[in-house]
Amino acid sequence: MNKEIAITAYKCKKCGKIHYPFHDRCLACRGRDFETFKPEGNAKLLTFTQIFNLPWGFDERFLILGVAEFENHVRVMGQIKADSIAGLKVGMKMKPSWETIRVKYGENVYGVKFEPIG
Amino acid sequence: MRDVAIIGAGMIPFGRRDEDSLMDMLAYASLKALDDAGLGDKSVDAVYVGNMGGGIIQHQTAIASSLVDRLSLLPAAAETIENGPASGGSAVKNGLLAVASGYYDYVLVVGGEKMREVTGWRATDFVATMTHPGAEYPYGITLPGMAGMFTRLYMEKYGVTREHLVTVTLKNQEMGALNPYAHVEMVLSREGIFDSPHSIVNNPPMADPLHLYDACPVSDGAAAIVLCPLDMLKAEKKSLDASKPLVVIAGFGQATDTQTLQEREDPTDLKAVTLAAQKAFEMAKLKPGDIHVAELHDAFTILEIAESEHVGFFKKGEGGKAAMAGKTRLGGQIPINVSGGLKARGHPVGATGVAQVVDIVFQLRHELPKTRQVKNAMNGLTVNFGGFGNNVLAFVLRRVQQ
Repeated sequence: MNKEIAITAYKCKKCGKIHYPFHDRCLACRGRDFETFKPEGNAKLLTFTQIFNLPWGFDERFLILGVAEFENHVRVMGQIKADSIAGLKVGMKMKPSWETIRVKYGENVYGVKFEPIG
Repeated sequence: MRDVAIIGAGMIPFGRRDEDSLMDMLAYASLKALDDAGLGDKSVDAVYVGNMGGGIIQHQTAIASSLVDRLSLLPAAAETIENGPASGGSAVKNGLLAVASGYYDYVLVVGGEKMREVTGWRATDFVATMTHPGAEYPYGITLPGMAGMFTRLYMEKYGVTREHLVTVTLKNQEMGALNPYAHVEMVLSREGIFDSPHSIVNNPPMADPLHLYDACPVSDGAAAIVLCPLDMLKAEKKSLDASKPLVVIAGFGQATDTQTLQEREDPTDLKAVTLAAQKAFEMAKLKPGDIHVAELHDAFTILEIAESEHVGFFKKGEGGKAAMAGKTRLGGQIPINVSGGLKARGHPVGATGVAQVVDIVFQLRHELPKTRQVKNAMNGLTVNFGGFGNNVLAFVLRRVQQ
């Protein structure tokens, strides 16, 4: 799947701080003008977990979730494509993709998935 | 600002209460607090109800309006306060400010939640609605999941181990077994949940690296307090139970932080906990070392350790070791969660912040059995942690020398 990562990140025009998700005012300087951009390249895994008690709407036995930072410093939560967490390590390189992350009322919901690549 | 006394405190046993509706539980806890205050048939000026999920789980709104009607407290002012798992703490804060300002004299604060009415799936989803609706919730993240990711970072940065977490579990379960209000009155063995090869069956991973017994249960329950100005209490002493030691809310603090963990410069730094506690200590003119007993928001064992550091009881990275050394046990340097905490007393989300205050009132009145009473406790601290640390309330309670 080569779909674009349909996330918009925001860089404060005054101080340069990067935000995702959107804030009306910059978390650092309260500036209100932002330049929008897309997360780029691969990502570095910052932390992760495997959860077994899933919320309503998920039929899987478990989910592996993590937060990773893209090469242009956007930090994003995503689902991790792995059979177990045994091979995962903080700091490892992840390949992002834009895929179905859940099905709600019969409709696919899209979001970020990360695949460990080393 | 007027000094505010807690003249009544009461709670009902937490657990699975299939026989009671949310409104039943709120009413029972309220009546216990009103009776404890010795108010008899007198009314109160205002009622604040802490509740997070009535609108979602019970499909019921305007809960406070319904409660004053049921309790025949009309025409008292009434509001429901929703602030995630800190709804109870926020209700206490609103009551405190209303009395301190001089606007109201007698105020009832009650927190309650009925979570076992729905399946675990639904309850987990309901709690997850406090996560970011675009950047977090759709992925299936849960609060245990947030705690798992936080734990991994905390372990890497500060060397917290599973053994530290297990120590907190064992301590809080041991104390909960002595608390008649606790949801889980069950002592666990270290062998059963950690040492033995079978422990993986008894205590499986829940949100790695957290295991099942690192998490609080999903509970039903309610707790309530009655507030009034300290000066008025002294003047009207004849109408109230004069034999009860007086407890005041000496300090209060609240702070917020970013909604998502990933936007915090250092996600292991629970800034809102530090700030809320600092403000509460400042107002009470006390230091962390002056506190004799604390109820910290241990929805997950890691949070008791992290909060014990962030409020200033221990240096960063020392909380786990302090727990291992018995410093947070009854009789230790600073007994934490002698009630069993959220871990064993339970966590009916809207009730928790009020229940923590009720537990500290019991401690400061010195009315608990020896097995749970912190000897000569004069000052107590509560920390009610909302979201994943994005809205935190702290209260310092003090026993007034008479």
